[in-house]
Amino acid sequence: MPTPVGTARQCLTDEAARALDDAVAVARRRNHAQTTSLHAVSALLALPSSTLRDACSRARSSAYLPRLQFRALELSVGVSLDRLPTSKSVDEPPISNSLMAAIKRSQANQRRHPESFHMHQLQQQQQSSLSCVKVELKHFILSILDDPIVSRVFGEAGFGSADIKLSLLHPPSSSRFSRPRCPPLFLCNFTSGFDSDPTPLGFPFPFPGFSGSPNGDANSRRIAGILTKSERRNPLLVGICANEALRSFSDSVERNRDGVLPEELKGLKIIYLEKVLCEFLNGTGTEELMDLKFKEVGQILETCSGPGIVLGIGELKSLVDDGVSMDAVNRVVAKLTELLKFHWKKLWLIGAASGDDTYSKFLNRFPEIEKDWDLNLLPITSFMPSIEGFSSKPSLMGSFVPFGGFFTSPADFKIPLTCKSIAMTQPRCHLCNEKYEQEASAMRKGGAATSVADQHSEKLPSWLQMAELDTNKGLDTAKAKDDSTALNAKLIGLEKKWNDICLRLHQTQPCPLPVNSQLKSDNVCTDSRFVSNLKESNSRSSSLDESGYENQNLSLPVDTQNISPPRANGSISPLCGVKNADLHQKVSVSISLQLEANVPPLSRCTLPNLSVPLDNPSPSSVTSVTTDLGLGTLYAPICHEPKNSRLQDHSECVQNRPGSVSTEHDDASENSSYRRAKISSCCGLDSGGQLDPKDFKSLWGALTEKVGRQDEAICLISHTVTRCRMGNEKFRGAKPRRDVWLHFLGCDIVGKRKIAAALAEILFGSRENLIFIDLRTQGGISNPLSLVCRQDLNGYDARFRGKTVVDFIATELCKKPHSVVFLENIDSADLLAQSSLSQAIRTGKFPDSHRREISISDTIFVTTSTKNSLYRKEGTEYTEERILRAKNCQIKIIVESISGDTTRSGIDVNVLANRESEVNSTGPQEPSEFQERACKRSRKTFLDLNLPVQGIEEDCGYVSCESDSISENSEAWLEEFYEQVDEKVELKPFDFDSRAKKLMEKIMYSFRETMGSKCLLEVHPEVMGQLLAAAWLSDRMMAVEDWIDQVMCRSFVEARQKYGPAARTMIKLVACENLFVEEHAPGICLPARIVVN
Amino acid sequence: MGINLLEALNVRVVGSGEKILVLAHGFGTDQSAWQRILPFFLPHYRIILYDLVCAGSVNPDYFDFRRYTSLDAYVDDLLNILDALRVDRCYYVGHSVSAMIGILASIRRPDLFIKLILLGASPRFLNDKNYHGGFEQGEIEKVFSAMEANYEAWVNGFAPLSVGADVPAAVQEFSRTLFNMRPDITLFVSRTVFNSDLRGVLGLVRIPCCIIQSAQDVSVPVSVAAYLKNHLGGRNTVEILHTEGHLPHLSAPNLLARVLQRALSR
Repeated sequence: MPTPVGTARQCLTDEAARALDDAVAVARRRNHAQTTSLHAVSALLALPSSTLRDACSRARSSAYLPRLQFRALELSVGVSLDRLPTSKSVDEPPISNSLMAAIKRSQANQRRHPESFHMHQLQQQQQSSLSCVKVELKHFILSILDDPIVSRVFGEAGFGSADIKLSLLHPPSSSRFSRPRCPPLFLCNFTSGFDSDPTPLGFPFPFPGFSGSPNGDANSRRIAGILTKSERRNPLLVGICANEALRSFSDSVERNRDGVLPEELKGLKIIYLEKVLCEFLNGTGTEELMDLKFKEVGQILETCSGPGIVLGIGELKSLVDDGVSMDAVNRVVAKLTELLKFHWKKLWLIGAASGDDTYSKFLNRFPEIEKDWDLNLLPITSFMPSIEGFSSKPSLMGSFVPFGGFFTSPADFKIPLTCKSIAMTQPRCHLCNEKYEQEASAMRKGGAATSVADQHSEKLPSWLQMAELDTNKGLDTAKAKDDSTALNAKLIGLEKKWNDICLRLHQTQPCPLPVNSQLKSDNVCTDSRFVSNLKESNSRSSSLDESGYENQNLSLPVDTQNISPPRANGSISPLCGVKNADLHQKVSVSISLQLEANVPPLSRCTLPNLSVPLDNPSPSSVTSVTTDLGLGTLYAPICHEPKNSRLQDHSECVQNRPGSVSTEHDDASENSSYRRAKISSCCGLDSGGQLDPKDFKSLWGALTEKVGRQDEAICLISHTVTRCRMGNEKFRGAKPRRDVWLHFLGCDIVGKRKIAAALAEILFGSRENLIFIDLRTQGGISNPLSLVCRQDLNGYDARFRGKTVVDFIATELCKKPHSVVFLENIDSADLLAQSSLSQAIRTGKFPDSHRREISISDTIFVTTSTKNSLYRKEGTEYTEERILRAKNCQIKIIVESISGDTTRSGIDVNVLANRESEVNSTGPQEPSEFQERACKRSRKTFLDLNLPVQGIEEDCGYVSCESDSISENSEAWLEEFYEQVDEKVELKPFDFDSRAKKLMEKIMYSFRETMGSKCLLEVHPEVMGQLLAAAWLSDRMMAVEDWIDQVMCRSFVEARQKYGPAARTMIKLVACENLFVEEHAPGICLPARIVVN
Repeated sequence: MGINLLEALNVRVVGSGEKILVLAHGFGTDQSAWQRILPFFLPHYRIILYDLVCAGSVNPDYFDFRRYTSLDAYVDDLLNILDALRVDRCYYVGHSVSAMIGILASIRRPDLFIKLILLGASPRFLNDKNYHGGFEQGEIEKVFSAMEANYEAWVNGFAPLSVGADVPAAVQEFSRTLFNMRPDITLFVSRTVFNSDLRGVLGLVRIPCCIIQSAQDVSVPVSVAAYLKNHLGGRNTVEILHTEGHLPHLSAPNLLARVLQRALSR
């Protein structure tokens, strides 16, 4: 909503309001609907002696003639205004949002600037409405200069808006903006409740005690501050960096560094007792030695002329260590106490404790020590040896900068998307400059049709962009481009071209870099990203033809040719290439050029983002296809340069793979559906080459082999996958879909994981291509100790903290577009995930949380839920839940004699085995409860960082707050989602009971083999649970049986050797509750050996 | 310069209650951040509000780069304010960096505080061997260079991330206050904060603390709340807010106010 002129005027001083009126007049004259910052600039420049003009002339680049540069400025302002759409004439075109924002910014800025406070106060008194700070013209202009459109316009004419700001803020001499000499008065009315207080409030600020001492770190100053006190004057530093701080303090005292010690303590000496004490305490030194040292201290003190001595006792830990005898410590402490009492005037003590626990231990032992030693605790929380490194920073950043955003530093170049056009002050000779001007004006006329810039779109948060570059380079960010940058980009490109021509043709020309501000002392930077549309490219190409330089300069890197697939090879220029190409595709090549002043321009080029999104919805809609072409490639001396290795790498890479156009050149370019289609079409060969996924039988066979159970489910899955990936069933528009959506119902979560992993391996070559996310825990392993959850699937872990699931999936999909996305517990999906999934299943594009879409044309989505299972049998002994709780514990054999128990002596092994199963079947409640408790206990002791919040809440002392319930929402969504999946597959539960029976038989058999029939065996349920879990997870059918043969038998033998094959012995197999397996037997999640006790 | 500290740091005392409550804002905000929390407490407390010296609402000239190299200087400011106002006992609610300041202040002057309420507090932001603070040194450096490179862009990116929850008003508000800070000060303060390590001194706190933590917070992992609970020396409780973001007083004021009320009444 634009703001009425009247409202805006209220925020301005008279002078600034006049400037605004002029701007409004400009807008009216041009029949523009709104008054923007550009109008304001135009109006401000129109006056022959305006502040802005004045500032410009001082900030002017010395490389150009002043007249010329101002003309260029006017021209570029004019052109930019021309490009604004006209509308029917309005009497007072309202103030645009961007201009209003500038006014608001200047208000905030002014409020912070002390010199404006007088004004501020006055206004506050006059008109009680505090919100309104009248903006002075200077601040008004400063804010307008922050407007990216404006700074671009200035940049086009070779002005740096930073320079202009500087010269605005620092007028040459006695201009009307000079700073007032006297410091401003703060009249903030602090009255409430304390009026009656007779004493003056407040302190001098900043505090004079320290501010005069620029040297030394803050910690040392604080220590010195304590030393000067009259009581509690012996500092004890506590904190992780306490020892460093102590060392730094001693250092500065020893070196007599200025500023650390106050005047009255000058000449203070430090005597280190640390070594002597340590030696005494750990027994290497004698008491005599220590006494000697103490005596020496006493003597020095007697004769000492200076302020005194500080005893450094070093780390307190040496006094509280467990190995140290209490006696010795007591003696040391007593001696120190005595010494301190005796010489209290001239003796100080200083110590450090690296942790509060050390101190509290010490305090426990000597409760009176704080008083005896007159200690003053000093928490040390940071350690900075000196502040020099910092003090340079602020000066560089410059306090004159009210709003950041134009610090030029190399970091900028890593952000290819910031469309910052920092002034390009490339030197050109006069001749070239004129030619440039000619072309530029021609181009401007041609480009007048482009629409107005929307300033927001180009101000993408580069911080985010940067983060993305690290993680998910692949998102198609090219979409964010802005038509309006086109002309600007062209101009920059043109300018660069002429700069280069000039440099090459007129080599003798020296290269003085007109850098006015300190800010840009080293670098002249260009970071631009050029886009233009085809029409413009055409017109430009013709204009370049005329100029006659085309042949010389327009040699295009061949790789670009290769990247755009339909083009023939050869040395045609990219323009021709684009023209000739059948323009179904949108080709956008964006190149970020990086210049450094000290090396010849363009010698260092990087291609951070080469993207070739080829999106061709349907041939019928080709009419309105635009071709985005990087200007950087149009004018491409890059290819002559030896250093552009990346570019060449790409080209090599591309050329080395005939047939697979534009495959692996960069992860960043993966958003091309074309590419994916290409890959997937030959993926049978590409990815491992084992299988043709179209072949149902081979898929079925491979899956069955890898999973080893769930035959019916596998058959159905193979069928569905084959059907869907044939691509002849589903259609989205004219295009067949190849994405597959499966939903696994029922039990056997391990089986589900196995199937998903197998699918990834078979179809895409490796298990790496499985993107595994458990939506229930979302970023955490539900029970870190659980055997089953230990499986290190390629998951969503702590590294992705702060990222939503959706973004995680999107990132992974960008990296590996052909993969299996495995979403466990789909019923726990959050709203964002739900909407993303819904859209993905509907459209074939997966949107991330920024609504950027990633094509999933070659992805298999597998979701699972355990609800609504048909197979829930009652009365099973080993339920899946129970096995899930099994932990990865060490197994132990306990041998007990049962001699006293006469009633049991006759029981033979078989019976006991039955008894064992009896225990299991009759009392399943008890052990599971026990396990639950164990779980809780383990939670307490092992605080896992990824533990979901619920886990913590169960602990005492935590209070949870109400959360929104989204369950009803989810139900409806799930139903709808299930409707759309390609196939719902029900998995049968794993038959733990029969497996348990078989395993028990096997154990009994081995047991009797080794121990004979007289011994009794008891297998605890936890151990059985562990075995079953291992069997469940194992890829091999007989893995656990093999383990019993190898590991368990060996242990039985060991036990027999130890205790003899005596009868009436009870052998117990138990799990050690708190001892986790350190070494696993190969190929199975069971311990490599059993402990025999 | 002889400028009154209370004026320089925009100290305000509002409310009509007996008990004194200090609301200390965190990094990137100023006292206006409490605006939506205030109404809940105005009738029952005398509330002291102030701006940290690094806040955008304080004259940047007062920020002495030599003085504010560690949190101790901020603690000095806080204690001086309380002394100047002749506060002898108070409740203290500190957010983010102010929580750290509160911890340090209560170590120095345990008698001054009845209870600390630590909102989104972290004793240490960097990861360590046995400690998960949420940040790696490398990440931090990246953030710093982003900050240096283009402050505005950084603010625009950081604000929504930090607010977490989808509350545009909160994002806007946080962006505003963050943007009001002078970039070099922001950078300097963040370096100070990331340089600080309170883990060795937590046990020295003797007064009860209540740790309030959002369930999802880009700056502070939930585990840190547990760490604080286990290591702070007093009687501690943890309240997990079922909301997202580092700034619940902006994004979920009602929820937070309820929890605060509960924490203060216990």
